[in-house]
Amino acid sequence: MAPVKRDVQSIVLVLIGAALLRISLDDAMYLRYVKEGLRPALIASGAILLALGAVGVVRDGILRKHERAAHAGADGHVHADGHAHHHEHEHGGEHGNGDAHGSGDAHGHDHSKGPHVAWLLCLPVIALFLIAPPALGSYTAERSDNTIAKPAAKTVDAGFPALPPGDPYDMTLGDFGVRAVWDTAETLKGRNVRLMGFVTPGKDGSWFVNRLVISCCAADAVARKVEVRGVPAPPTDAWVQVTGTWFKNGETGSENATPALTAALVERIAPPKEPYE
Amino acid sequence: MKAMSEQTAPAHGIPPAASAPPDAGPAVPDQGGPAGAAPGPGPGTTAGKPGGGPGQAAPPRLRLGQLELFVLGLLLLLVGQSWIADRLDARAVQTWSTVFVAIAVQALPFLVLGTVISAAITAFVPPSVFTKVLPRNQALAVPVAGAAGAVLPGCECASVPVAGGLMARGVAPAAALAFLLSAPAINPIVMTATAVAFPNQPEMVFARFGASLATAVIMGWLWVRFGKAEWLRIPKRFSEPSSGSRWEDFRVGMQHDFLHAGGFLVVGAITAATLNVTVPKDVIDAVSDNWWIGVLALAFLAVILAVCSEADAFVAASLTGFSPTAKLAFMVVGPMVDVKLIALQSGTFGRAFAVRFSTATFAVAVLTSLAVGWWLL
Repeated sequence: MAPVKRDVQSIVLVLIGAALLRISLDDAMYLRYVKEGLRPALIASGAILLALGAVGVVRDGILRKHERAAHAGADGHVHADGHAHHHEHEHGGEHGNGDAHGSGDAHGHDHSKGPHVAWLLCLPVIALFLIAPPALGSYTAERSDNTIAKPAAKTVDAGFPALPPGDPYDMTLGDFGVRAVWDTAETLKGRNVRLMGFVTPGKDGSWFVNRLVISCCAADAVARKVEVRGVPAPPTDAWVQVTGTWFKNGETGSENATPALTAALVERIAPPKEPYE
Repeated sequence: MKAMSEQTAPAHGIPPAASAPPDAGPAVPDQGGPAGAAPGPGPGTTAGKPGGGPGQAAPPRLRLGQLELFVLGLLLLLVGQSWIADRLDARAVQTWSTVFVAIAVQALPFLVLGTVISAAITAFVPPSVFTKVLPRNQALAVPVAGAAGAVLPGCECASVPVAGGLMARGVAPAAALAFLLSAPAINPIVMTATAVAFPNQPEMVFARFGASLATAVIMGWLWVRFGKAEWLRIPKRFSEPSSGSRWEDFRVGMQHDFLHAGGFLVVGAITAATLNVTVPKDVIDAVSDNWWIGVLALAFLAVILAVCSEADAFVAASLTGFSPTAKLAFMVVGPMVDVKLIALQSGTFGRAFAVRFSTATFAVAVLTSLAVGWWLL
């Protein structure tokens, strides 16, 4: 693979900057991959790369072409950025395949050609512009354990605060899971609650409603799931709202308990803007 | 992107760039799958050959050839978009592409920050500044540089180019390497994240700080004692004559550094996404029973997951069933050795260096974690 030429390098930079701006300026798209807090950094780095590439297109592409036209044959002349210009004139041919290594050996880099490995930066650009991978779903949830962090000791000792009013009361899967497993006072008992998430199949006619949680990017996603009973399973990956009551499944306050819900009503809904909880 | 993994697997995507076979076809038609494959080889070879054949002076044609092919490849991908997208509905492939993009997107801002700092160091800061600030004695410079890592907020992607820039500016490699290891592990953002992730275990924050700094300093000293200059390729571009304008140096330096490190970041993201999607979770759960194996397993998991150092504390906290020392090893190894970093380091310093350095760092990090874990946890 040929090394990346200087003018193509600039276009690669423009493209990757544009790709970052595209997903971060869109209201929801970047949320499939990273946390909301990274948005300013994404916009800033996208703008920096775009500007860097644009300056490169002007200086290395357009201006240099003018200079070449103006100075055709004047090889000894030194231009403002004549350094790169000369490399290209003098070594363009030999270097085409000569320094064909992205890594490993101790050759000097020629400014007029980028490293070969830079071609790979086209992959995320292509992925973002053409494919726009969706948010993670059932595949990740099925492969992940149900993560219910044990709350701080003082929360357990003091007891969970009473569940706020609401019929049904809307809960996150995380909140529901923690109370279902660790709340020995069983504040969930008898309450009508509503959960939201996507569907994965379970065993013996039950199924799971899931949310994924990311702490930095989608690569570190872990699942929160609640087993749903009493209603036939919607299709896998469908987003649903489930209304029902807590089903005690194992001794609360121990690792044996798992969160479960006896459902009265299941409604299909559109996926939320922020896919992760 | 996904077309590639579905039909030819990432194995096809990595070698062409990493080892650069003679085929001069540009990447885009190559990797765009069948949409780009048909026209790819034809013009690709015509444009590539004049470049490869010594003595054939046709530089203007070559340049235009690559540019045109690049644009042509993008157009073909645009045209073939729906065809490609139709073939990508398998859940695993979709998950792979999401994880791949997520790792790249999450790391790019930090890589930009790192290359801005690195290019600024080489363009604007005279070498004398570093020789004045750092002790002349390397053995003393190592802990100073290691502690200085606490001031670079960011994750590991930023620290590799910065360390390269420091070396190019005459900082002793041992000191720059100590900085490289400590910066992503002990900066305030990472320490805060760790405190949040382990709300009931403040000792975890101290253990992480101590074990990470100790590993960085020990590795620096090991380099002073045993390191060989020929293992390490200090980025050479810095020794080239300046263009005369500092801003132009900055622009060219940043462009080069970013494209270089960015390419290797993609290699790392491909590897991490592949492991993330394919390694069965049962394998990891099965080893959590034995204390010793648990420590090694989480250290190894840190290498293959390549989670950003600002997030790894949350991942560690979610690994219930493992001992605190195993979690500590996960957080000490992660920012210093992982597949993404090994790719970045081989790109910046050479493969000979990355292999030796990462292996040694892994061993030292695990031993330090054991010692600190035994003491504090």
